[in-house]
Amino acid sequence: MNRTRYALVALIGALALVLVVAFEGERALAHKEKHTPAQLKAFEEVFMEQVKLGDLLFHGDEATEKKLNVQLSKTGMACAMCHPFASDNHPHEFPKFQEQMNKFATLRDMINWCIEKPNEGVKIDPDSDAMKALETYIIWSNKGSKLDAGRH
Amino acid sequence: MDDLQRIRSEMHRELNRPGERPAQSIGITRRTFLHRSLTAGAAAGAATYGWFPLINTIDVAHAQQTFKFAWVSDTHLYPKNVNTRFVEKATRAVKEAQAMSPAADFLIFGGDLAQLGDPVELDLGNDILKEVKIKKVFIPGEHDWYLDMGKKWESLFGKQPWTFDHKGVRFVGLDTVSRGPDYWTAKKMTPKQRMGHMATLDGSVAGAWAGVGRDQLEWLNRTLSGWAKDKPVIIFTHNPLYEYYPPWNFWVRDWREVHEVLRPYSNVTNVHGHTHQVLYNEIGKLRSIGMLATSWPWPYAPEGVPVLTTPMVRADPGDHFDGVGWAKLTAGGPKVENEYVMWRKDIFAEAAVDSGTGDNVNQVLTPRIADREWPYYGAHK
Repeated sequence: MNRTRYALVALIGALALVLVVAFEGERALAHKEKHTPAQLKAFEEVFMEQVKLGDLLFHGDEATEKKLNVQLSKTGMACAMCHPFASDNHPHEFPKFQEQMNKFATLRDMINWCIEKPNEGVKIDPDSDAMKALETYIIWSNKGSKLDAGRH
Repeated sequence: MDDLQRIRSEMHRELNRPGERPAQSIGITRRTFLHRSLTAGAAAGAATYGWFPLINTIDVAHAQQTFKFAWVSDTHLYPKNVNTRFVEKATRAVKEAQAMSPAADFLIFGGDLAQLGDPVELDLGNDILKEVKIKKVFIPGEHDWYLDMGKKWESLFGKQPWTFDHKGVRFVGLDTVSRGPDYWTAKKMTPKQRMGHMATLDGSVAGAWAGVGRDQLEWLNRTLSGWAKDKPVIIFTHNPLYEYYPPWNFWVRDWREVHEVLRPYSNVTNVHGHTHQVLYNEIGKLRSIGMLATSWPWPYAPEGVPVLTTPMVRADPGDHFDGVGWAKLTAGGPKVENEYVMWRKDIFAEAAVDSGTGDNVNQVLTPRIADREWPYYGAHK
């Protein structure tokens, strides 16, 4: 009985060791891969593509809205008309309690509130391409701001 | 110290020489005293924070009798089928100005009647302004101009610059918008594209478009040359006549030359629009007062807010009557007062954390990027 139990424990231990070695080995290999300048450039391009897309949406570019099938405003107002350079957006302060919504809110919640209330537009899917682009533009525009989550 | 800081420092020394202040005859009123004490950080009571900008009081020597005039600007009208909100607020401002008691002697419309310079928008604005039966004078904003280069505007409201004397005060209206650099011909822009870039406050394409221009500077010099140096002059402009924040054209690019022309005159007040916010500044002998928009408030710029400004509270974007309005001004014997008619007076800050500038701590901004590419990025992808 004891021998069987010892054998089982040994087997489980060996399996665990194999898994750990395999996992660590893979992770180690991934970390050992050096990024090439081409890769870094590609990462930057992917990011800046989103920044530019978000910039256009933020400034009310009709063609971009049409392409992404969103209607961010029905009043003629664009986000940038109250937030030039994405000022007064304070992405560095989210998440926080947001009085207008009377709830603890993320930046994406706030973007949707602005679309729906002041701009009288149509709320967008929080995980949509348009939302990611808007969020990226706002955060890029505020790059270097001091992270101060929760500040009112 | 970088070059820009060095130049600004030199300008500051040059323009603010010892003893150089607007109108030596100006008395410090209680209201002004409160403002001074607040800017100096003295304890004047939290409840008064942000209160001063409602009233600016300036003494004007030599004015013959007291009179009132009204300022309305930055209505940014769209056609009615796009946006009725701005129509509602412009109409309210105009009706309130017309109902002033005692009546205003005249109304100055300070530019940006339209949003995109569309004749439909300008006609709509003209119809709204017809409600005002007192004398009206006009200066254009950039939103009124760049679709047809001012043709419709001038057909409705006449040409600038202009001047008139009223009860001992010389009034001047300048055009600070029409002398922008030609950013459209080489790029073969349509009039709508040209207007679109001009209508984007944080755009980079239209560049440093705000300016008085050599011709108007010479005209201003001639116009003031026969006026006593200590008699009151009030200059209306769409853009402020000092450098506040050039990236948003919160300035005129030739403000230094303007100050050279005005230097001999000790009693000059510049009343301007464009910035959509409570502003007050003094440079040398020139005072500047920024007016509210009826349409929407701009945030304070991330830098350059004059230290003499006590900022208004940050506006609630859910309330489109917040942070906006018009102004009543009283000139003459011996005071000029500016009273902001802000439709939500009860939202003025009681603490720095609620003020329009206090809210901008920790904020570092980068200018937009998509309009740096041509053909215009996005629409052609």
